[in-house]
Amino acid sequence: MKETREEARFIGRPAKVVQMEPAMVVEWPRTFIHRHTYGKLTPFFKGLQEGRLLATRCKNPKCPENRLWLPARADCPDCLQPMAWEEIPQPVIGTIYTYTRVAYGGMGLEISEPYWQIDVELEGVCTIFKGWLKYGEPKIGMKVRAQFQDVPTNTILNIYWVPHDG
Amino acid sequence: MIVMKEGNKRIPKWNRKVFAVAGGLTDYRKWFPEYKLEELVMLAFRQMLEQNDLKMDPLEVKGLINYAVYGHFADHFQDQLLCSAKVHDYLGLDPLYNVGIKTGGATGGSAVLTGAMAVASGYADVVLVAGWERMDEVDTRTGNTYISFAACKDYETRLARMYSAYYAPMAKRFMETYNLSEETRAKVAVKNHLYACSSPYAQQPGRYTVEEVLNSRIAAWPLRFLECCAMSVGAASMLLCDEKTAWRLTDRPCELYIAGGSHTLRVADRRHQAIPLLPHETEEMYRDLLEPGSRYPGFESFLASRMAAWFCYRMAGIENPLEDLDLVELHDAFTISDIQTYGDIGLRPYGQEPDYIESGDAYYINPNTGKPGKCPSNLSGGLIGTMHAVGATGIFQGVECLWQVQQKYDKFHGDPKIWEFWGKTKPDDWQSLQIPDRKGCQAAWVSHAGVGSHVTLGILRKAWQ
Ligand SMILES: [Zn+2]
Repeated sequence: MKETREEARFIGRPAKVVQMEPAMVVEWPRTFIHRHTYGKLTPFFKGLQEGRLLATRCKNPKCPENRLWLPARADCPDCLQPMAWEEIPQPVIGTIYTYTRVAYGGMGLEISEPYWQIDVELEGVCTIFKGWLKYGEPKIGMKVRAQFQDVPTNTILNIYWVPHDG
Repeated sequence: MIVMKEGNKRIPKWNRKVFAVAGGLTDYRKWFPEYKLEELVMLAFRQMLEQNDLKMDPLEVKGLINYAVYGHFADHFQDQLLCSAKVHDYLGLDPLYNVGIKTGGATGGSAVLTGAMAVASGYADVVLVAGWERMDEVDTRTGNTYISFAACKDYETRLARMYSAYYAPMAKRFMETYNLSEETRAKVAVKNHLYACSSPYAQQPGRYTVEEVLNSRIAAWPLRFLECCAMSVGAASMLLCDEKTAWRLTDRPCELYIAGGSHTLRVADRRHQAIPLLPHETEEMYRDLLEPGSRYPGFESFLASRMAAWFCYRMAGIENPLEDLDLVELHDAFTISDIQTYGDIGLRPYGQEPDYIESGDAYYINPNTGKPGKCPSNLSGGLIGTMHAVGATGIFQGVECLWQVQQKYDKFHGDPKIWEFWGKTKPDDWQSLQIPDRKGCQAAWVSHAGVGSHVTLGILRKAWQ
């Protein structure tokens, strides 16, 4: 009579051996998908999809901070009240506060190297917004104009800057 | 503007004194397959128990431990959650309680602070503080992306996936605002790589010239690879205890003070605010520093470091750090962050940071005078020369301070057996970097995270006559 027992089997792939000396080292591949929520920042990232730049402002008349926040945040750290969304009127023109030329980025970088990463000051904004310059050479104090990807990246990379001449 | 109210400004105070008595390190390497992580921690733990001239048998000392605090930065580097449980069991410390601490680059300092709190409160008489990192399971570019997960994932991480690209804009801004030259930055790298040549634990020792640093490959302009910290595998441990136990264990205990500060994860979110003044500073000093429309801390300084010093100096009675401290170990993740910190912790007034290097005060031997530097920095080789196994770093720096104050630099760096243990040969021209002894000799170390999100400042002061 034929054996019909159930047997558990190894169905993975053998781990690749990198070396045996002086200690055994094997490779364990890792590829995972994270589902990341933008939460109450959704209007900001939706705005980027639509080619609009949105920031938040605290509407509490007693709050000491009445300027815009960009990076936007949904709640005010000074008075702890929810903030309101405001679109920054087009064209969005800012001033370069500082910058770097990225020559060596980390694995998975989605911008072609080398490129200029810039930090942009905007009128009426209490913070300094980090971004990337599509072309041209930055200087501290230089004016730049926001532009948006035609095909949305659905990430912060959807917005970039170009030199604003006059 | 951040406004601190009265309660926010309370100076930390231990309910009883806290002491550090012993430390242990491992070698630090880019690639370290010879040992598993817990095996490396065991090596640091054993060095701490066996080689620090403790007046009890190592297992008797182990038998005094009540509590353990473990620092490790990133679960994804280790590819192991709850690594601390694995290490704790491996060190034979079950069933005592342990906690894991994670505050990025400041993890080591935060672990020491947490351990000190346990002693000061009376929860424990003797605390093991240990930390580690294993950064060699992935290649360097993947490692840089892993580290960049400590930047804001919504607004920043995708803009470089590399921490040097978050520090480089600070370098550019600092150079422009405070007239910092590329040469001064390079001198920090030259100094720290050089001091690492005296350390048997160092990963990146080297005798470079300023020109060689400036000609090295750019990571993110203006920062060169030789200006950036090591990516390391290794561990460190420190033993903390109350006063009575300290004297039972050693004739050379050091009293410990440590405090911390925090500031925004994103540099972007730094709003202008008034400069919190250290004990030796006056408002007059900074009257002309900031032009209308400019910011403090801006991209030039670290509020978290300023607050750590603000609290810790008052806690420890430091009136002027340059005069009072015999040594500092700073978190030189990049040459620029090292220089920025000089102002934050008051080694120079804000705006005059480069002078700490140019004056020669920061050197073991002042290159301008040939005499000892006034308050040398990073004689350990720091993060640029010796190591940045992130969770271990702030403990490593504390251990180096402890051994310096205990007059044990030579014992732990000059013994050929230690070099041999790690498969190295002690250089023929090995140079001692032991700081001179004096009454009340004291050293400070800074443990620093992100672009300044968490910072601790610790002080170890000689407690024996
Ligand atoms: Zn508010």
